[in-house]
Amino acid sequence: MTVDTIALDQGVIDLFNDPDTIKVLGTVDENGVPHVVVKQSAHIADDGNIHYLELIESSRSNANMVRAIWFDGTVSFTAIADSARSVQIKGKPIKAHITGALFQEHYERLRQRRPDTDLAAVWVIKPEIVQDQNPALRRAMEAEKHPHFVHLDQLAKH
Amino acid sequence: MSAAGQIKYRNEASFDEVVSRYPKFPRLIARKIDVHRRGVNYTERTLAAIDPEKHQLYGWNGFKFPHSLLLRDGTTLLVMPKQPDKDPYFVDHFDGKFWLIDEGEAIEEVEIWPKPKYYEKRTNSGLRMGDVVSARPQRLDLFVTSFCYFYHVDEQGCKFCSLPKLHKTLRSENNLPTRLDPDDVRECLIEALKEGGRFTNIHITGGTMVKGADVGDLEVDYYIEILKAIGDTFEAKRFPSQLLATAYNERQLAKLRENTGLGSFTADIEVFGEEKFNWICPGKARWVGYKEWKERLIRGVDIFGRGNISTGIVGGVELATPNGFTSEDEALRSTLDEAESLAEKGVTTVSIVWMPQLGSQFADLKSPSLDYFLRLTQGLQDLRLKYRLTVDFDDYRRCGNHADSDLARLYYADR
Repeated sequence: MTVDTIALDQGVIDLFNDPDTIKVLGTVDENGVPHVVVKQSAHIADDGNIHYLELIESSRSNANMVRAIWFDGTVSFTAIADSARSVQIKGKPIKAHITGALFQEHYERLRQRRPDTDLAAVWVIKPEIVQDQNPALRRAMEAEKHPHFVHLDQLAKH
Repeated sequence: MSAAGQIKYRNEASFDEVVSRYPKFPRLIARKIDVHRRGVNYTERTLAAIDPEKHQLYGWNGFKFPHSLLLRDGTTLLVMPKQPDKDPYFVDHFDGKFWLIDEGEAIEEVEIWPKPKYYEKRTNSGLRMGDVVSARPQRLDLFVTSFCYFYHVDEQGCKFCSLPKLHKTLRSENNLPTRLDPDDVRECLIEALKEGGRFTNIHITGGTMVKGADVGDLEVDYYIEILKAIGDTFEAKRFPSQLLATAYNERQLAKLRENTGLGSFTADIEVFGEEKFNWICPGKARWVGYKEWKERLIRGVDIFGRGNISTGIVGGVELATPNGFTSEDEALRSTLDEAESLAEKGVTTVSIVWMPQLGSQFADLKSPSLDYFLRLTQGLQDLRLKYRLTVDFDDYRRCGNHADSDLARLYYADR
């Protein structure tokens, strides 16, 4: 299924790009086994896409990202600011920078901060679906769509 | 995507039709294979949009063109220009981007290889560094000698190979010596390594030199000189590197391993099957021989270690007329059987796509079908999985010329 790119609103961008926000990448392997890891390098770049730095060539995330770009797979990023503010963005990898100006710019900055690291790729993910994960908001949205999905005691007179 | 239909020049199934038969084969890698098989032609708009400051260019006979291209997944294309009447892909430029075009449709955005910063600098001897040590997107390339004994002396060069002729022309155009000087190489390396994140491997190759008490002794000594010059630029004793050379005997391989920081060794057998080898690679057949070539590769595993010894084949050349296989099925079965006989002993096989090159004896022949190459590519990677062989030193990034080792990207995390 192909979904058109969506433009992320400024609130989502700000939340995602806040350095204190925890950003978690979710991918799957060939058999659907999930792999979920924190990727604090993830950010919404000027092109409106998520960019993240994959540091290890032989990581499971990297292999799953390759599989996704080759077979039109979807990956997700969950960005958690605090218990009330989180957002999930699903999208497709559209590019892996493994060389060139953008790659080297990130490489130099990364090595200045963390001289013990290497860089395998700068992955670019095109957002397709954004979902606010605020618990109260999510419950309200789902209750409106599925009014039957509730325990009766919650509706009873007390 | 590409329009369905028959391609007149080749009278064969369309790309989409072939790829649809193999849903587990990545479309981008199939595209790479097809581009390598058919070649590219750069449009006037592309040539006008090239920025010699930014893009890595290649020149031959006074004509400058992009050295090659990158796909969006980081896959390298390594392809020479092809005449428009030979059904190549086209590379056009519009909307500020370069595009791969097939049958009039833009099918993939591509990038021209970025130009390394050292390229225009000069060695103390006055040579342009980019002519001494060339680059791929993540690798340094040393073609250390344009001389090949098989081709230039015996007139028994490999029939598909245009390199001795090409490199002789390039060396004469750029006033390069027949053999590179280790001091020039060292200076280039020092400059190249100043560019952070630019290179992950050093590849060294050249034509065969047979001289010495044992065949190839002088060649080994020369490579040791070159590798020592390279080694001077590293703190670590061993560095990611690949020597692609003649199949050496155990003594020669041990000498290389002990005296240099070389990381891996490759000796291309070019085509599997003794009869085909003898016909297509008469020089290699005469000076080493098919069985001995394989044996030397196998013995090399004990010296360089499993996963650090490989051979390369020119995929599809086994079907060259008039003495090649006449059936693709038969060619595939035979090729994979022979590759397996090496894989079970720890030697991995990589393939390139045979696109008949001008300047080679096979220039007027045609490559086999895309279908054949997809099956060969998958078959070689499946052998690596079956025998738990890695190909880290010759993969999508450290080389970029082998579709089969591109597939290895999916499996790095499994071992």
